Amino acid sequence: MTAMQPESLLDWAGPIANGALVTLQIAVLAYAIGLLLGLIGASAKLSPIPPLRALATGYSTLIRAVPELLLIILLYYAGGDAIEWLLSLFGLDSRIEISGFATAVGVLAFVQGAYMTEVFRGAIVAIPRGQIEAADAFGFSRWTRFHRIVLPGMWPNALPGLSNLWLILIKDTALISVIGFNELFFTIQQAAASSRAHFVFYAAAGAIYLLMTMTSTAIFERLERRVRRGEA
Amino acid sequence: MTATNPTTDAAHQKIAITVDHLVKCFAEIEVLQDVSLAVPEGTVTSIIGSSGSGKSTLLRCLNLLERPDSGEVCIAGERFQFGNGQRIAHSDLERLRSRVTMVFQQFNLWPHLSALGNVIEAPRHVKRLGRRQARQLGEHYLEKVGMIDKRDTYPVALSGGQQQRVAIARALAMEPEILLFDEPTSALDPELVSEVLSVIRDLADEGRTMLLVTHEMHFAREVSDQVVYLDTGRIEVAGTPESVFNDPRCQKFASPTA
Repeated sequence: MTAMQPESLLDWAGPIANGALVTLQIAVLAYAIGLLLGLIGASAKLSPIPPLRALATGYSTLIRAVPELLLIILLYYAGGDAIEWLLSLFGLDSRIEISGFATAVGVLAFVQGAYMTEVFRGAIVAIPRGQIEAADAFGFSRWTRFHRIVLPGMWPNALPGLSNLWLILIKDTALISVIGFNELFFTIQQAAASSRAHFVFYAAAGAIYLLMTMTSTAIFERLERRVRRGEA
Repeated sequence: MTATNPTTDAAHQKIAITVDHLVKCFAEIEVLQDVSLAVPEGTVTSIIGSSGSGKSTLLRCLNLLERPDSGEVCIAGERFQFGNGQRIAHSDLERLRSRVTMVFQQFNLWPHLSALGNVIEAPRHVKRLGRRQARQLGEHYLEKVGMIDKRDTYPVALSGGQQQRVAIARALAMEPEILLFDEPTSALDPELVSEVLSVIRDLADEGRTMLLVTHEMHFAREVSDQVVYLDTGRIEVAGTPESVFNDPRCQKFASPTA
């Protein structure tokens, strides 16, 4: 390796592209799991069973009240310990290394789920009562009512909030760099440090994030038009 | 005008609904006070009375959208007793409600489904009919209410009268034993009332068992076999339309509009 030879953006194109791909993978997976957690959280929050309500309220309140950076670090260490402890309960002593990828997805999904709980709760509450009552009056089971009437009725109310959360999530993936995982931001940091062309690489990172968020904004706009097809 | 007189016919006519000493309270207020009522099969009963008299609550107690505090309801072969701490299983509710369907004042169509989608939703997902069969059924009933041309239109693009006709098709598509109408024309512009009433009249002429909460006195008089006049949660007068509308207790309420 020749020392002191300036490294260009081109030299780092491969790793950066890879980092961007990993960032997208983390974000998409965390989002999908977050959606699921949010739906479960919102259902629990609206359920008639007090302990479920308390649990969901605790989850969404606590997570939303603490800085995400702190949560990521906390969950990174605590999460690893917790899983080790769980395994030891079942007599499994094996030191399972949790991959950085799984940690990143898990932590971000957990945080997203808390915010989505609130988005979904609001969106469900905003469905006109009569529509839910009509489902009841026609003998829908609770599950049928949920997935045939509540879910489709809720999407138009939820999508603006969900689209916001997706943008925040893409940017939050940069926080994952603190646990030393090779996503986009971490790769850029390495490239910048190694080449000393800080501005060039951080500007490139900015452009890549911008590209991701703008593309997804366009997708969300189309989605929103689709779920609002029954509206004026 | 129908000539059947439920008081004489009741003896040899099957009873579709019996309401016995029904009481319903909201907070401290007794909205229904000891209401008893029988509806023979194949007849139309109209429930009239001023706003707040409990008529919608009575109707909603029949499909248990409201849970009565005491008394008994026998409907579509199911017996429900209230006030004894007995829980009603969700499966019993679902069975009852697939056989007793309701048309609402505010239509309550599902906005994310087309007219046909609204009509076949319950047959598909409650009765679990196949797609083809449900579609045929849905188109048949949309045709019946004169809405087949709008089968792919979403509720937002329909007038109030059209929405209510779709809602009636939705209630019919379950092929219920009993139809409940909760002020079906009260939310409509005056010029849209008659198209909905004419659909309901056709159903009455078919000999369906129907309960109708309404402010349309002329219409109630015309289509009903039985009229029930409710005042502050009590049945003041009940009987044939002529006897109820000619009763002095009801006249004060009914004559200004009738």
